[in-house]
Amino acid sequence: MALMKREEWEDLVRDVDWTLSYADDDAVFPEWQSGTGKIPREAWSAWEESYKISYPEYVSIQAEKEAAAFAVKAALQRSTIFSSLDEGWKSCAKVHFGGVSLAEYTAFMAEARMARFGLAGPWRNMAVLGALDEIRHCQLSLFFAHEFVSKDPQYDWALKAFHTNDWAIVSARSLFDAMMLAGNVVDTAIQLPLVFETGFTNLQFVGLASDALASGDINFANMISSVQTDEARHAQQGGPTLELLMKHDPVRAQWIVDKMFWLSARVFAVLTGPAMDYYTPLDHRKQSYKEFMEEWIIGQFIRTLQDHGLKKPWYWNEFIEGLDIWHHSLHLGVWFWRQTVWWKPQAGVSKAERNWLNTKYPKWEEIYGPIWDQIIANVNCGNMQATRPETVPWLCNACHLPLCTYTSSPDGKYRVRDFPLTHNNYTYHFCSKVCRQIWWEDRDMLHVKTIGERFLAGEIQPRDFPGVLQYMGLTPDVMGDDAYDYKWATDYREPLGPESSHPRPNSIRGRERIPSEALSIPINAKFGNDFVTHVIVVNTSDTMAEVAQKVAYHSVGKRVRPQDRDMVVYYEGRAVANSESVSQVGIGPFQQIFVDYASDSQGGR
Amino acid sequence: MEDAVGPILRMCDDVESVIRAIQDDNPADLEIVDRGAYVRVQRRGFLRVTRGSLERHLGAGFQMSRFESIMSAFAGRIRTSSDEIVWYLQSASISSKENPR
Repeated sequence: MALMKREEWEDLVRDVDWTLSYADDDAVFPEWQSGTGKIPREAWSAWEESYKISYPEYVSIQAEKEAAAFAVKAALQRSTIFSSLDEGWKSCAKVHFGGVSLAEYTAFMAEARMARFGLAGPWRNMAVLGALDEIRHCQLSLFFAHEFVSKDPQYDWALKAFHTNDWAIVSARSLFDAMMLAGNVVDTAIQLPLVFETGFTNLQFVGLASDALASGDINFANMISSVQTDEARHAQQGGPTLELLMKHDPVRAQWIVDKMFWLSARVFAVLTGPAMDYYTPLDHRKQSYKEFMEEWIIGQFIRTLQDHGLKKPWYWNEFIEGLDIWHHSLHLGVWFWRQTVWWKPQAGVSKAERNWLNTKYPKWEEIYGPIWDQIIANVNCGNMQATRPETVPWLCNACHLPLCTYTSSPDGKYRVRDFPLTHNNYTYHFCSKVCRQIWWEDRDMLHVKTIGERFLAGEIQPRDFPGVLQYMGLTPDVMGDDAYDYKWATDYREPLGPESSHPRPNSIRGRERIPSEALSIPINAKFGNDFVTHVIVVNTSDTMAEVAQKVAYHSVGKRVRPQDRDMVVYYEGRAVANSESVSQVGIGPFQQIFVDYASDSQGGR
Repeated sequence: MEDAVGPILRMCDDVESVIRAIQDDNPADLEIVDRGAYVRVQRRGFLRVTRGSLERHLGAGFQMSRFESIMSAFAGRIRTSSDEIVWYLQSASISSKENPR
């Protein structure tokens, strides 16, 4: 029997709105959930999905997709492919499973909220299918990872990660809560389907699939690209919603897009950037992370936004500059703090890999080369203690990632800066001006304590680095270590040159006993051109010479080349005399200082 | 390609047939970018694929809704119906005949 075309009957079923008579419209669709704002209630009747599908079609197609995904999984289950996969590549999959599986469940809740509170019947219908999609994605990710748990307990973090306070998860949870749960459904439709799913998830689910396939992980490539076929459909909830917003409140539309674009880009810099440029084996890299970003985000997504009448975000230049910086700094941080993650970060800086990085990122050697040279020298000297952290990095109050963003200076050099903001007598710190501005405008949505703040508030006990690891849920069987057991460093067994083979000097002293009469305070400190700022605890009675030693302890000889020169402390942009104490200078808790060798100093930065 | 629009096809048995169908419907200026796990099929400003072409290459009775299972993403905007799928940009500088505005 010939079926009627969908167009001949779909209007009867896609729009199921009717005029309410037993309840007030405001009660059924409260503003705090439905979020119409300046869009008149009646305007929602014009909402029309561009990607139409009926429920019978949906069921049929989804069954076909599931059968295809599971057929590949079943075929490969008896193969030896898993044991032959590169350890670096496995880390890509572990990052994905831990960082994405339960985020899919959060996305289900977002879809379910749109299915209930969306102000147009067709939108609610589409969101119902989106909710079913997200449940599928969550279950697929958990099930595919579960197969490997018996072989490697790090895969167990597919289920566990979002139930911990691991720093990467705090960052992801902060983003996803703000994106999917905290706002009304109009904001959610712009933030999740439009910005995140039309733009960024393509990078992780389609771009990374090409690296996965090249690396031999057919099962993973098949799974994530199958997931993204659902996203391509339900992400189209964003377009019609954006059109209404652009007509009635374009300022709101631009702000929501700008905010979520930036925060998504920050998280992808740690989720996808290292996976593409460091973990994927060199021979299997299809493109660099920057090239994938240029293809999917700059070329494709931004053009679509412009087609809707939106402008490029106000911070466009900072974002473009960040494509050469962010994920390299974050990778360095992940590798150095590797005990704090549930995967094995591949350093990715063998000579061949370094050549590739320098080809793709011409500034890489200048900015990151000296830091990796110091680390390599320590590895090759067997000084592994110097390759591990003893404090925590200072984390951004907006994106919850370390303050490790190099930006260019007028003199052409790249430096990591802190962007503080004092509000209600409390100093917040940000990795960038943009994070600071977003936080200020939307602080009610983004007000999650960083791991560093929890540490300083005494919520993490014992108050030391092992205590931090315990707080994050990391046990010795899962905490990360170098993917290749440092074998890549043998490339550099020949001396790197006098400037990078200096051992860590004895003059660099660790934490000292705190005199009982002195007050211990945490400060945000950075040494020289190190890539990150740290939490450092000093005493109010400490002289600047002692403070310089405490700050240097966490950088010099670890990532910064030791030099036989005096050190200088800078506070509020000026050099402070070595004999002055913390209290005399007036340095308070949570304030930032900068320390450098005397002749290298740059007036505070 | 400036103003590129079109589907991004995932790895599956039907990719080559789908590309041939799209070529039938868009004989001019089509660009194929093969990245292994995905293939971009794109054209400036406007691209369409019809059920007729897909049936010719994939077999009679092809339902347009099945296209979803092989399309991981797409560039531009989309409009779907039982007989064709269209990808386009409203602001692309193409002929008014092609632009569905």
